[in-house]
Order: sequence, then structure tokens, then C-alpha cells
Amino acid sequence: MSIFTPTNQIRLTNVAVVRMKKGGKRFEIACYKNKVMSWRSGAEKDLDEVLQTNTVFVNVSKGQVAKKDDLSSAFGTDDLTEICRQILAKGELQVSDKERQSQLEQMFRDIATIVAEKCVNPETKRPYTVSLIERAMKDIHFSVKANKSTKQQALEVIKQLKESIQIQRAHMRLRFVLPAKDGKRLKEKLRTLIKTVESEEFDDQLEMVCLIDPGCFRDIDELIRCETKGKGTLEVLSLKDVEEGDEKLE
Amino acid sequence: MGLTNLEKIIALQKKTSHIRNLCILAHVDHGKTTLADCLVASNGIISSRLAGKLRYLDSREDEQIRGITMKSSAISLHYSTGGNEYLINLIDSPGHVDFSSEVSTAVRLCDGAIVVVDAVEGVCPQTQVVLRQAWLENIRPVLVINKIDRLIVELKLTSQETYTHLQKLLEQVNAVTGTLFTSKVLEERAEKDAEAQSSCTENGSVDQVYDWSAGLEETDDSDLYFSPDRGNVVFASAIDGWGFSIHQFAEMYSQKMGISSSVLLKTLWGDFYLNAKAKKIMKGAQSKGKKPLFVQLVLDNIWSMYDAVVTRRDKEKVEKMVTSLGLQVMSRDLRHSDPKVLLSAICSQWLPVSQAVLSMVCEKLPSPAEISAERVEKLMSVGARRFDSLPEQTQELKKAFLDCSADETAPVIVFVSKMFAVDSKALPQNKQRPLTQEEIAQRRELARQRHAERQAANQSAESPGSADAGGASTPAAPASGAVTDALCARTEALSVRTAVDEDNKEHFVAFARVYSGVVRKGQKVFVLGPKYDPSLALRALPEGCSVADVLPSIPHMACCTVDNLYLLMGRELDELDEVPSGNVLGIGGMEEFILKSATISTSPACPPFTPLNFEATPIVRVAVEPKHPSEMPKLVRGMRLLNQADPCAEVLIQETGEHVLVTAGEVHLQRCLDDLRERFAKIEISASEPIIPFRETVIRPPKVDMVNEDMGKQQKVAVIHQVKEEQMKYPEGVQVDSTGLVTLTTPNKMATVGVRAIPLPEEVTRFLEDNVELIRTMEQFSLFAREGKTQDINQKILENIQDFKVKLERNLQGRKWRGAVERIWAFGPRRCGPNILLNSVEGYHRPSVWHCLEREAEIRDFDNSIASGFQLATLSGPMCEEPLMGVCFSVETWDMKLSAALAQQDSIDKDSQAAEHNNDDQIESSDPHETNASSASSNRSRSRAEASGSSVDCYGPFSGQLIAAMKETCRYAFQAKPQRLMAAMYTCEIMATAEVLGRVYAVLSKREGRVLQEEMKEGTDMFIIKAVLPVAESFGFADEIRKRTSGLASPQLVFSHWEVISSDPFWVPTTEEEYLHFGEKADSSNQALKYMNAVRRRKGLYVEEKIVEHAEKQRTLSKNK
Repeated sequence: MSIFTPTNQIRLTNVAVVRMKKGGKRFEIACYKNKVMSWRSGAEKDLDEVLQTNTVFVNVSKGQVAKKDDLSSAFGTDDLTEICRQILAKGELQVSDKERQSQLEQMFRDIATIVAEKCVNPETKRPYTVSLIERAMKDIHFSVKANKSTKQQALEVIKQLKESIQIQRAHMRLRFVLPAKDGKRLKEKLRTLIKTVESEEFDDQLEMVCLIDPGCFRDIDELIRCETKGKGTLEVLSLKDVEEGDEKLE
Repeated sequence: MGLTNLEKIIALQKKTSHIRNLCILAHVDHGKTTLADCLVASNGIISSRLAGKLRYLDSREDEQIRGITMKSSAISLHYSTGGNEYLINLIDSPGHVDFSSEVSTAVRLCDGAIVVVDAVEGVCPQTQVVLRQAWLENIRPVLVINKIDRLIVELKLTSQETYTHLQKLLEQVNAVTGTLFTSKVLEERAEKDAEAQSSCTENGSVDQVYDWSAGLEETDDSDLYFSPDRGNVVFASAIDGWGFSIHQFAEMYSQKMGISSSVLLKTLWGDFYLNAKAKKIMKGAQSKGKKPLFVQLVLDNIWSMYDAVVTRRDKEKVEKMVTSLGLQVMSRDLRHSDPKVLLSAICSQWLPVSQAVLSMVCEKLPSPAEISAERVEKLMSVGARRFDSLPEQTQELKKAFLDCSADETAPVIVFVSKMFAVDSKALPQNKQRPLTQEEIAQRRELARQRHAERQAANQSAESPGSADAGGASTPAAPASGAVTDALCARTEALSVRTAVDEDNKEHFVAFARVYSGVVRKGQKVFVLGPKYDPSLALRALPEGCSVADVLPSIPHMACCTVDNLYLLMGRELDELDEVPSGNVLGIGGMEEFILKSATISTSPACPPFTPLNFEATPIVRVAVEPKHPSEMPKLVRGMRLLNQADPCAEVLIQETGEHVLVTAGEVHLQRCLDDLRERFAKIEISASEPIIPFRETVIRPPKVDMVNEDMGKQQKVAVIHQVKEEQMKYPEGVQVDSTGLVTLTTPNKMATVGVRAIPLPEEVTRFLEDNVELIRTMEQFSLFAREGKTQDINQKILENIQDFKVKLERNLQGRKWRGAVERIWAFGPRRCGPNILLNSVEGYHRPSVWHCLEREAEIRDFDNSIASGFQLATLSGPMCEEPLMGVCFSVETWDMKLSAALAQQDSIDKDSQAAEHNNDDQIESSDPHETNASSASSNRSRSRAEASGSSVDCYGPFSGQLIAAMKETCRYAFQAKPQRLMAAMYTCEIMATAEVLGRVYAVLSKREGRVLQEEMKEGTDMFIIKAVLPVAESFGFADEIRKRTSGLASPQLVFSHWEVISSDPFWVPTTEEEYLHFGEKADSSNQALKYMNAVRRRKGLYVEEKIVEHAEKQRTLSKNK
């Protein structure tokens, strides 16, 4: 280490600033890094672990303290701790590195869990494990978007994963009963939406058990409801067509 | 002795009485493979100079690197003594605990065993195990005390001390055999007692005189023990290449001293000494302070040899000794700087270990023809079945066993104890063999032609450039090209034969032994699986049928042709055409028919042999995954092959999609993973801890707090953050009253549901769990019933359901549960789980789940939504999204404010309540985030409602809302009660000796295990401890317990039940006492919280943890600032 030389520039270290505009004024408080999110989620319960000081500033980096009059006019109280709490709860802040990292990691896991729940290996009709999905997601360089819901991203990821591994949405097993004349008419239309037909009976009415992609459900539902004017019935036998129980490899 | 050729061995195979099938057993590192090396060297397969260093039978690369044997491998040796020629089928086995399954496979095929014991280490845990295994299989052991050189060189014992040491060692070994014997006698006696007891009670008279002698006195056990004077003990040092039995020395000295060898044989081991004056052998060497005969005549000689050669390096003395012994030592050895070389050169001539061991084996161990009737019966009677209960035809086969004849008429009986994978290159068919003359000539011709072609081509290539009158040359070029092609094709065809096989997958060879008859190449045989039942087959098959006939298919039986027969020669295989009975052999081409072990026979009456008794059961579980997810099929194929190749490994796919590999121990696991990587799957894989399931439940409010103080009397210390937490738990719109009743209104304010969560009694939970199948069938019936279809319900099932209901009523006693059974709405999750939805709504008399019994329906509309909400809530609880267990949700209020239009719609619906409320389908519909949420919802009533347009609002379809509301209500109701996590538990049975008992307890308590009982096994010093252990703590448990107890305790784990973890995952100290004990933060480890957070973290759920523990302690300065 070199000899310590005094500088006239003071750097703020370990400080995260939370800002809030209220009553036309800007207020800031000085907090520790990586702590504000924990406070908001309730994991951190000690205020002293969050706040550097309970002074309210106009500008933290310049060290300008807010005036008492401004505070009381904006917040209606002059209890600094209470004001700090309000700013902490509602103010805007820059998310710190670790906070962002842990948030993204959590979302990544969440997406992988959702994908694993919804999908199966088409060959074995068994789900993939979450860790395998995670690895596959890393392989295709999937990056998490913090502002999109995890479910939405999971559905996108499934499409992308299909290119690299054997994966598909777990099929839904449906059964529908259609009146005979509608049955003839609708059969062809339905055929395009159905993946596999498991059984088919056609006497006075058409009865079908089939597997479909869950994405097509709405269309089928719509089709049957509108075309048969409520006479056809549609029934979901199972949402996920997966193998159950343990299997011994032999 | 020169190299034994194949013809000789084939000739010898036919002489059953001159065959010895034996295996070498011992603790790890006691010198099994080294001894085997010496024996192999005696046949000239490897150089005797390399014996002990090469470890010929350790053919795997990792075996050589690690220096331990991992598989049992066989080799056939030839030995001749006194004009008699013997064929010895030697099987080397691993000593490590993890591979004791391999030992079992070896022991089964043998008639005798060489038990090797290290002279320094003495009896070790595995020594006991192998002795027990030999005992259980009824095979006769002989003892080799190995590494005597260590006593001389390392411990520097005198010959006198060595004698006492060896005596003690023998006693130890005999003690083990003794306990095996006594425990058997005691068992037999206990059985007899039990029988006597039952007969006594029948007669009504009780024996007045109790027979206290345990029967030990009457049974003779003297022939079980090892003793040098019986000739079943050899003293050896395999590494130096010497070994002797007393027999040899007795012969030697009887000539020298003029004492008859029989006398010497009796006195050479024991408390005898030589009175030099009287030239007489006297008793009582110890009391008179004389040297025992063994020391004087045997050990002293060896000691002086070591002294001269190794310690003092006295050249002259060595030469003198060599000449006096009449040996020829090469001058190269004499000059060698390492005295060990000289030593082994002298010793291997003077007292060759192979000679000593093999002669003992030939004399003391039985030939295959001498198989005892008792052993045959044991082999033939599977499980608890008595031999007498087998069909008559089967019993007749016993004679075939005993005869062991190689006649044409004798039925073929072969037992396959394991399958092992062989590289296709190692198979004799594919082996490189010297080319015959014609082939060489052919190749030469080809090469010459090719050369000529090339020259011609070159010429033609040059010519078109210059010659424009190309008419002559251009047709020539393609023609020559064609010839070249043809040639290439021919050369390829020659090489292709081998190439094709190389590409092929692993070949499996069955490790087997012929018990009767002659196996021939191309013979048709029955392959009988371990579960095959001869009595069934005999009934199904016509009398006197043979394999060639077309037969009806019988479970666990297959017909196949014997493709290839091999002579096992360690790492090599030799092809054979036929193998007569009594021999160990390899059978190729059986991988389609045999999984791990099987019985092969020409007679359908043959019973399957008793399954191998494995000392170690597989308990180490790992989840295996390919590095690249696209290689999944390869992994599955590889795991199948591994399962076949390894007698002890188990592979399974779990419901979660995990591929789980279960192995006997860490070393075994390592080997399995290596095998998968390099042989079977040939992909990169990773192994990790398997996913551990949990369950969530609620309990009755505890009466005492964490420091065992009564809760009621104490004042709670108000803590601000706890008040805050209470508020946070319930968002707006949820009302919770003090008794735990939670009410919630749907977003469109149409319906309000009130639910209370009640813990189910433990017995009820267990009862429901046991009857899952029944509930499922019941559900199915009611589903059909609701559709208006009638289905024939089996009378028996109906009775079962009735019975189930009665039992459930009996279990649900008490004021709280009055009439509860009649009000059960549904079971969950998946409509058949251990949770109950109870209908306690005033004025709503809904038919209960039992209505399939009486069949009448009056259901309110949207009834399905409530049930679906319940199913969803029970499928994943609020703690860590794991299924619930043992919770009863009681719906207390359910108010609907429906518009008239909708109500009218309902009445139409009512008659045909098509039930499409599969719980899973609402997973999608209930979640507002789901993009295709609305599409997935399939409730018909919803669609009706939607069609009428009355209830389409901004919150989506009403039924979906109700499902979501119900689900949320259940979750909050659950949270309003004290929540607990349930862990899966293993029952764990540990066999341990008394001295390591304390350490077993230490390991158990460290891993949150609980000891249930502990008892001593009669007649032995083994304790059997029964304990329960959370599955979550079991990873690495087996390894730890073995390490801590030096292998003296062996655990077995079996899943048993779910158990509530007593600590509250959300617990924070509230009373003063608790503060005193745990401090404000209570950061002492909370087991439940630890589990819960681990699961939440794995699933990517929010974990209540601070990102940074101490705000001030962050390093935030970058380096250059």
C-alpha cells in the first residue's frame, strides 16, 4: 500500500441512496447497500442495520440535510425515524448488485421449476428434473428478464428448449361427446388440433378420448361450444399425461 | 511347470472328481489377488518373477490404479500331484465391503474357499463377513495365514513370539466360526422350542423340567475349526512366494529324525517339544520353558533364512543354505542389489506357495461330485418353501445334483450368478489370430494388384494431358478406377468382419457353473428367472416335453439357444464346445434372457436357485444426470446395461423424472459412475443428491413452549416486528377470527367462503394413505355415476368401500368429528390423498363421497370449483409448495350472491353436472398470470355462464375465481394454525459389534436419528439396532457410519413413514424464558426451517433471508480507490 494521501474528494462507500419526491421536494436517506430490499420484504427487521443515519437529506452525496420545515410540511411529522420508514417503504432506489443477482437467480430457478412442471420427455412421458432444465437453459444462453413474469418467460423458454432437447408440453387428455351430426362436421376441424386419438366411438353420438397440446385447448373449447350450441360436452380427464410412480430399469 | 494348453484343460473338465471349484476370500488388502497371482504363475501364465506385482486378475484399469479388486474373476488352473491331475477353477473375489455382492456371486459357484488372513492385522470385519458367507452357502473353508514375512521384517518378532501370535490368531478365526456355529445351533433350538411350545399348549401339559443345556454340548463341531494338524491351514507369504503346511515339514523331518510322519504331524503344532537326549517328543513345552516343536523345526529355519538374506546379507551363509537345501539359484539373483529378489528366488523353490496351497486344496476341499445333500436342498428351496413342498419331479432332480454326472441323459442344470460385460474385442471370436497361409497369399495378391492399378492410373493421368487422341486412354481410366474400387471393397470386406463387432455394444457373458449334465454349444435350454415356480410350469406343460417343442409361455421362463461357451481365464476367454458338469464357465449371448442371475436347465421341473444372499444391500442413493440434456436416451440405455452388469446396483426412474442409482457404498458408486461414463453410456454425467420430498401439515396448538414451560401462564413479550408479521401474513380482504376460521370473498364480490383447517388424527392419516387405491376406484365410480352412466360395481369392491367407511368412522371419534364421515366432500390431492374436505355449510346437504353407494344427487352449482380449489391447495402447501398431509379443511360458510339470470342458468345445469373438475386443469385456470389461463379452464358451468354473458367481468370466469378464492382460503386457513413440516423417514437396521455401539449412536444422533430398540443377537456378539432416520439426513450416512466404526457396523435403510418434525419452522422466541434461552434472534439451528428454506431455494421461491447479514461488514471499496 502506498502512503495514505488525503484527498479532497470524499467517496461514499457502502451507501445506497433512497429518494422520494414529496410535496415538490426531493428527500434522500442514506442506507447500507444490499439492505433495502431485505427491509422491504421483511427479512431485515432491524432499522439500524438498514439506515446509515436517521437524518433525512436533500442530497446525500453533498451532505445537505433537509430542512425541518420542509420535512414537517411534506410528511406532516418531524419524527425523523418515522419519515425514514416512509421513504424506505415508498422511495425509489438503485437496486444493488447482490440484490439484483439474487433476484435474477431466484427468477431463473422459478422459471426452471415451472418448465419442469409443465413439460415431459416425449419418449418416456416422464418429467425432466429441475436441475436438468436449468442446465439446458444455461446451454441455450437464456437470460432472465426481471420485468416479465416468470410464467410468461417459462412458456417462451419451452419453445427455445425444443430445439436443443427432447421436450414438449405435457399433453392434456380430453374427452368430448358430440351429437352425431355435429360430430361428422367437427371431426375434421378437430383433427388438426388433436395430437393423438386414444379411442373413438361413433354410434348415436361421437365420443372421443384424445391427447392435445394445452395451447390448443382454448380453440377446441371455443369450437365445440359455438358449433354445437352447447350440446357437445368437453371434459378434461387429466391435465398432465405423465407416467406415475417409480419405475425400475431392467 | 509349462504353459497349460487348452486341450489339457478340456480333457480335465470331464473328470469330475478331479475338479476343485474354489474362491479366495478375505478382508481388503490381506493379499487375495497376490496369492492368486502366485497360483496363476505356477501354471506359467505369468512369470513367477512378476507374481504378486502384476495382479493378473485385476483386469480393470481402476482396479490397478486403486489397488483393490472390484469384481470377482475366474481362472482355470492345472495342478498335478503324485500322478493325479487336477483342474482348479479359481475365483478371486474383492475384499472391500462395497463389493461384497461380488463375493456372494463367487461363493455360490464354489465348493470350497480359501480364507486369507493377514498375520499382522488378524481377523478383520470383512474376514468375519466372508466366513459367514461361506458358512451360509455351506462351503468348506481352508485357511491361509498370509504375510508372515511382515512379522519378521516389520514387527521383528522372534520365532517364539510368532508362534504365540499365530496361535492367538487361529483362536480368533476359530472364535468366529464358533459363533456362527453356536448361533445356528441356538436358532435350531429356538425353532424346536417353539414347536415344543405349540405342541405343549395343545396337550395342555407343560414340561416340568426345563432343558438348560442349549444343545451345544451334543452337537459336534470339531471338524469346523482350523488347525494346522488337520492340514487345513497354510502359513504363507505370497509376496515372497513361499508357503507351507505342517504336512510338508512333517514329511521332511520324519526322514531326517526318524520319527514317523504321523506322529510329527500331530505334534508339530501344539505344546510339544523335542527332548534332544531321549530323541523323544514330550508334552508341555510352555511350562518347561522349552521351544515348541513348531518353533524349533519350522519357524527357526525361516527366521535364519530371513536373517541371512534380508537383514545381514551374509553371502556365504546364503550360499551354504542354498546348497544344503539343494536349490539352484541363478547368479543373476544372487548379485541383485535388492535382497527381496534373492529371497523370493530361494523361497519360491524351497517352499513354493502354490504347491502348499494347491495340494491342501486338492486334499481338503470337496470335488463337485461330493456336494452334500443338505446343500442341494438349500439351493433348491426358494425362500421359505421347504424342500419337501416342491413338486415330485423337482425333488427327483436332487439325485442329478448329487450325481453330478456328465452323462448325455442327465438333465442340464446351470446356475448363472452374475452377468459381466466384456469388450467385444476381448471375445475369442473377434480376437486377432495369426493369418493362415492362404490369407497371406491373398493379401499379397491384392496388394500387388493395387500397386499395379496405381501405376496404371498414374500413367493414364499423365497421358490425357499430352494425348488428344484420347479415344484409347479415356475409357481405360474409368475402367481402372472401377477395378480399384472393387479391390478396395474386397479388402474392406476382409476387415469389416472385425470392425462390425467393434462397433457393437458391450457383450455380456454369464458367469455360471454347471451342476449337472453337459452344456453344449447350440443346445436349446430353458432360462428360469429367480421368481420361476416349477409347480406352475409343470401343471401347464405336457408331460415329458422338451425345449424343442413349442410351449405355452410361462412366467419367468424363456427358451433360448446357448450361443457361446467360454473358459474363463482371468481377463481372457477361450471358446469351448461343451462343458461337462462341475465346471465354472462363461456363457455368451444370454443378455436378452438373463437380467442378473438365473438358472438354466433342460428340465422345466428345475427350481430356480435360492437368491444370492447379499451381505450389503444397496443404500447409497444418487440422482444421475447427463451433462448435456440431449443425451438422456444414452444415459437410460447405459443405466440398463449397468443394472445388468452389476449384481448389487439398482437403477430406477422416479416420478419426479430423476434417474436414481442405488449402490452399496461410495467406492461402489464411484465404480458404477466410471462404468457409466466409459463403458455403458459413454457420455459425461453428473451425480448429485437426490430430491427429498416433504409434506406439510398442521397440528394442534402446542401446550408448552420451546423451553417446556406452560404457555398459558406466561405473558408474551410484545415484539414490534411480530405484530407487523401478523399483518403481513394476511392481505386485505381476508378475515381471520381467533378460532382459525378464514373467510374470503371472490374479487367480483359474488361469493364468500369460510374455511377452517383441522389436523387429522395420525391414525386417520395413515389409514387414508394405506387405502389410496380404494379411494381412487371409488372416485372413478362416482365420476361415472355423475355422468348418468351406470357401471357395474364389483360386489367385493363395494364391500371394501363399506368396510373402509366403517373403519374411518371408528378412527374419527370424539365430539369434533361427530358425523364427519357422512359429510366428507372430497379427498385430496389428486382426489385420493390423505387430506379431507368436509362440508359443514349450514343448510347445504350435499351427498358425501360415499354417494356411489346409494346414488342420488343434489349438488349446488359451482360445487366443483370448491372441490378443485381444495385439490389445488392440498397439492402444494404454503410452506414450500409440497403436498399437504393429514389436514382436514372444513367449509363452514359458503354464500353466493348470484344474479337471477345466473341462477336460472344454474338450474339448467343442475341436472347434468358434468364433472370436469380435474384438479390439475385448474392449476392453469386459477392463475391469473398464465397466458392461456382462461383457455385452460374447462368447467362447463363456466362456459354456460359465459355464454349467457351475465357473469363475464374483468376478473375472468366466475368458476375460476371461486377456485382461486377457495384455494387461497384453504392456504390462509392452513397458515392460521400451527404449521409443521413432515419428513420422510427411513427405518434403519444396524448390525454392530459391542465395541462400536457408542459410535453408532453418535452418528445416529448427529443425523437426527432416533433409536427405537437395541437387542443382542443370540449366540454372537452382534447387536441389532433399530432406528429411524430422516431421509434428508441419509445422504452419506452409510459412508459415515462405516468410517466411524471401521466397517464393523452395516446399516440397511428402508423407507417407512412420514413423521412430523416437532420444531416450528416459523418459530421465534416470544416468552421471556425463550429469550433467556435462545436470545432475540434465535439463530440456533431450527431443523424445520433449514429444510423448508432448502426446498424453497431449490424451487426458486422467496426465502426469507437477508442478502447481507451485517450491513457494516461489506467490502465496497474497489481496489484502486
